[in-house]
Amino acid sequence: MKKYGFVMFSLLAVGLLGVACGGAPEETPRAAPASAPVGTAVITGVVNYTNGDPDTAIDMNADPVCLTLHEDEAQTQKVVGDPGKLGNAFVYIKSGLSGSYPVSDEPAILNQEGCMYSPHVSGVQVGQRLLIRNSDPTLHNVHALPTVNAEFNKGQPFQNMEFDHTFDKPEVMIRFKCDVHPWMSSYMGVLDHPFFAVSAADGSYSIDKVPAGTYTVEAWHETLGTKTMEVTVGDNAVAAANFDFAPASG
Amino acid sequence: MVAPKKTPDRHYDFTRMNKWFAWSSLALLLITIWMVVEDYAKPWKRLQAEFRDLERQKLAEEAETERQRLNQEEIDRIQAEIEAEDTRLEEQSAELDELRDRLADLEDKVYEADVDARTTKSHLDTERYQYDAALQTGDPDKIRRAELALQERRATYLANRMSLEAYIEERRMVKAEIDRKLEGLEADRKRLAEMRGGLESLETRVAGLSKSVDYFLLNAPLMDMLGPQLKIDQVQLPGLYQNINFTSVDRVDRCVTCHVAAARAGFDGEGWQEPFRSHPRLDLFLSSSSPHPYTRFGCTTCHGGLDRATNFARAGHSPEGEEEKAEWKHEWGWEKQKYLDTPILPAKYSEAGCIGCHAGNVWTPGSRIQDTGRELVSRMGCYACHKIDYPAFSDLPRPGPSLNKVASKTNAGWAYKWIEAPRDFHPTTFMPHFFFQENIQGELNEERQRAEIRATVAYIWDRSEKIDYPVPPAGSAARGELLFNSVGCTGCHLLDGEATRDQFFPQINRMHGPNLIRTGSKVDPGWLFAWLKDPKSFNPETRMPSLRLTDQEAADLVAYLMASRDPAFEGLSLPEVDGEVRDELVLAYLQSTRTIEQSQAELAEMDDLQRDVYLGKETIRKYGCFGCHNLDGFDDAKPIGVELTEEGSKPIHQFDFGHIHDVPHTRHDWIKTKMLRPRIWDLGKERVKDYNELYKMPDFGMSEREAEAVVTNVLGFTKESVVTARRADQMPEAAALAEGRKLITRYNCQGCHLVEGAGQAIKTAIEDPGMWPPNLAAEGARVQGDWLFGYLHDPSSESMRPWLSVRMPSFGFEDGQVNALLAYFAASENRQPFLSAPVRADRRSLAVGKGVFAMLQCAKCHPAGPIDTGAVSAAELAPSLLLARDRLRHDWVADWIKDPLSWVTGTKMPVFFTREDDGEYSSPLAQGIDLPMWSAEKDRMLRYFDSEAELKEYLANADNVTTAMRDHIWWGLEGGS
Repeated sequence: MKKYGFVMFSLLAVGLLGVACGGAPEETPRAAPASAPVGTAVITGVVNYTNGDPDTAIDMNADPVCLTLHEDEAQTQKVVGDPGKLGNAFVYIKSGLSGSYPVSDEPAILNQEGCMYSPHVSGVQVGQRLLIRNSDPTLHNVHALPTVNAEFNKGQPFQNMEFDHTFDKPEVMIRFKCDVHPWMSSYMGVLDHPFFAVSAADGSYSIDKVPAGTYTVEAWHETLGTKTMEVTVGDNAVAAANFDFAPASG
Repeated sequence: MVAPKKTPDRHYDFTRMNKWFAWSSLALLLITIWMVVEDYAKPWKRLQAEFRDLERQKLAEEAETERQRLNQEEIDRIQAEIEAEDTRLEEQSAELDELRDRLADLEDKVYEADVDARTTKSHLDTERYQYDAALQTGDPDKIRRAELALQERRATYLANRMSLEAYIEERRMVKAEIDRKLEGLEADRKRLAEMRGGLESLETRVAGLSKSVDYFLLNAPLMDMLGPQLKIDQVQLPGLYQNINFTSVDRVDRCVTCHVAAARAGFDGEGWQEPFRSHPRLDLFLSSSSPHPYTRFGCTTCHGGLDRATNFARAGHSPEGEEEKAEWKHEWGWEKQKYLDTPILPAKYSEAGCIGCHAGNVWTPGSRIQDTGRELVSRMGCYACHKIDYPAFSDLPRPGPSLNKVASKTNAGWAYKWIEAPRDFHPTTFMPHFFFQENIQGELNEERQRAEIRATVAYIWDRSEKIDYPVPPAGSAARGELLFNSVGCTGCHLLDGEATRDQFFPQINRMHGPNLIRTGSKVDPGWLFAWLKDPKSFNPETRMPSLRLTDQEAADLVAYLMASRDPAFEGLSLPEVDGEVRDELVLAYLQSTRTIEQSQAELAEMDDLQRDVYLGKETIRKYGCFGCHNLDGFDDAKPIGVELTEEGSKPIHQFDFGHIHDVPHTRHDWIKTKMLRPRIWDLGKERVKDYNELYKMPDFGMSEREAEAVVTNVLGFTKESVVTARRADQMPEAAALAEGRKLITRYNCQGCHLVEGAGQAIKTAIEDPGMWPPNLAAEGARVQGDWLFGYLHDPSSESMRPWLSVRMPSFGFEDGQVNALLAYFAASENRQPFLSAPVRADRRSLAVGKGVFAMLQCAKCHPAGPIDTGAVSAAELAPSLLLARDRLRHDWVADWIKDPLSWVTGTKMPVFFTREDDGEYSSPLAQGIDLPMWSAEKDRMLRYFDSEAELKEYLANADNVTTAMRDHIWWGLEGGS
């Protein structure tokens, strides 16, 4: 019996090893690939907008302090840009990337200036430091309304107050509002890579250091919605991706 | 002579016997091996071994990531910091030594000064006695001398005491200085140790899971009785019973023997498949910090299945669909467990498992499907025909309106068309279709049904009171529409011809009252006016509250509602039916209690109306209309359906599947089919059954998910028992919570308010979030019981947000109901509803509160005087603080200011005080106080402090500041005395 027991044990041990090794999904490693190299390609283009309605003015009567901060009437910053062009559009690589990318050491800055958020549209990386500042001599509260990340709502009663925040999940876009000044809003795209840009007043944007590949690039605008495009770009090449927005019908 | 044959001394043949022995021992050996193998090679062992490998791999990956992360940045950095810190200390060592010397020196000085102070204190006491003695003698000379001596002593004592205090202060500062110098270093060292600790513990765990010689030895056949790593993992659950052959025995769950990771976090990413996944809601279940830890509740208590099974098939897994069934059969040898009464609930019905322990709670937070199912069971009035002996369905009012005055409200022609097909008129109604169903086809049957409907209406109208209402004052439909959409009607009512019930499944609270589409074709405008003004005077039992409408408002609403019409439902009268068919039905009822001859005689004596009324009464009895509606003549009638209290435990063979063969024979499939096609089991039996014997269950027009929600609820009505002490409804606060939830459900508070994080259905009808009715999170911690008592009785008495157009209705609660709500709110925050009066604040606190109130600019949002809505849009305002003292709990205000977001998610109230990692709150005020714009506030506050440093120290403490703000709000605002 002893002998058979030993044979059984050996057999089973071998068998179990087989199960253990064969069953282990070594061929499908779960670890994320190591940091992907930053590329050399550039995606650039212009965001066009036909038939644009002009930006509208803000009534800041509710807070006299805000009124004193502006010589002219402040504009909402919603639809901005030169004629036929669209600024404040957030353009980013929506899909097609793999791997992880280093997080910028530079903090992103969200300022409250003249009872307005500045910038009105911006982007930040997951884990990147976001510095939020109040440059106004009045109370603001920074109320972020994410759906994936955690909500926060911090009061900044004093001029030049600052605080840091980092988002830990990608989310496009997160709206910021100020409950004291209902006209104030800002939108921020949180991405797990550095390939995004905000279009300038002439509608132009440029996303640098992109690895060669084929990507879905999306342009997001606060009131006009989103447009996507497939873009293929090789090393050291420049790919153009222009987006055309039109006023929402109806 | 033949030599005698050598006979063996035994009667058997050795050789043969040896062969037999050899063969049978070989057979025994083989059987033994077979037995050992069979006993050893259990599927769960394979699963556990597989999981060990996966876990080891996962941990190794985590350790690798951790190592990389640590190597790259942190360790080096902290190491460098420690070194820098060391060098710095080295450089400063002379200084540090000096400080330490000074400290030692000061310790001595403090000791000496302490001794001195005590000595002089006793001398002082002596002199005081001498002085007292001198006073007794009355000799002025002596008195003067004694007085001088006393003064001298007192001066010495005070001087000594001051020098002691000075030394103590100096010692504190030197200590602080030393701590400060060492602080950075100590913190760095600690952090380094912590970080390395994480990695080391990961490495230990990886090592523990690797396959060493021990592992093979301990898990080898016949060795595995010692202390194997692969073993059956079971938990005993005293008081949670499993019914085995008519006896209740404690459950012993062995599920995690295979579902190894169920109670552990971290196994839920991509790549983790059952049975190796973490439970998806570890926050609620299984984890030790959840309300239902695995060791106390196990798995089968909620999920069902055979607790002791360690075999896939025997555990009672329920496949969803044929595909899964085939896969399981192939892969796991699945087969139907004929003798297991409680197979595992399919995943979509899992929430049925909540009911066993939470039955008394009316609703169970976190079980949305089951809870919506409960809501549907009560809206559709299942409990009105089927007894369901659960607290959620006891003492409920009838789900439908009273019909005792219906003739005052509408006309018989409309009622006929309504009963014929209620959903044709109101697509979202919960009133079911009784007539023209799939088991009653054919011309004759249709005529019989028409006669029944006509008779029902005739009976109701015969018994109904008829009040004539005056014509209402003229109103404006346009104003009425605005009012309808803003005053709060939409919390309970839809007015939408396109809406479907399924669409409002997630906002079922908006269907609390009827869809008001086509009201103009249904009701009398005079009635509607009177009803809107005072619903209770028409029907004292109605749940419809009064919105305290003025005559003009009510008239405007009438104009608006009456404008919604459909000509197809107007100008109708009761249709004529075939008298013979009607009489035949009457006769059938008469004959059930009389002889044929008597019946015929009785019929002959009745006139046409009497025949209709008689048939109407019998029809109402047959279909059980009185279950849902108050009907004269049926006060004591018993519900007509089968009891559902233990439907979830009813053995499958007791379900009648009729001639239908494509419905799987499971409890949930039968109930779901019944919900979707209530008369299906009659198909093929129509010719056998008499007209009155056919199934009567009406058709509620349920959608797939409505049906599944109801099934989830019904499956939970089991006879599985749980010892009383283990039931959620037996927990200390449970009674108060249950009573409150019952009222909240009955009066549909969640139509407008967020209660326990659910509800506020009205927000889909009001665009501007600033105009939504308030979130009642933390209400019990927030408001005073006295105030809430008054407010619930008469909400018109005050208004926190006078700019809201939505109106808190007057429900006409009784004292008992209001107290139940108070107790509910208090219990949900673990508080008592009533408080003793707060003590008055000191002047310093008031002064600081006033200053801080200005600096934080609270008045920008909180009107602290008459409201000027000119500047800020009303919807952006916060509640007036003038009401705070009467309304808010004194013990709550400071906590709220300190961290509003932790009380109410999404609140507009900003966080001024940051919660730091150590759990303390930091205050920003010390940094704002030096700004030129707040210099006046600073000066005012400084009057109450000895130094600026003291003021700043005070302001840096979040508790001080929030308390001061509370004091200012309480006593300092305009109107505070």
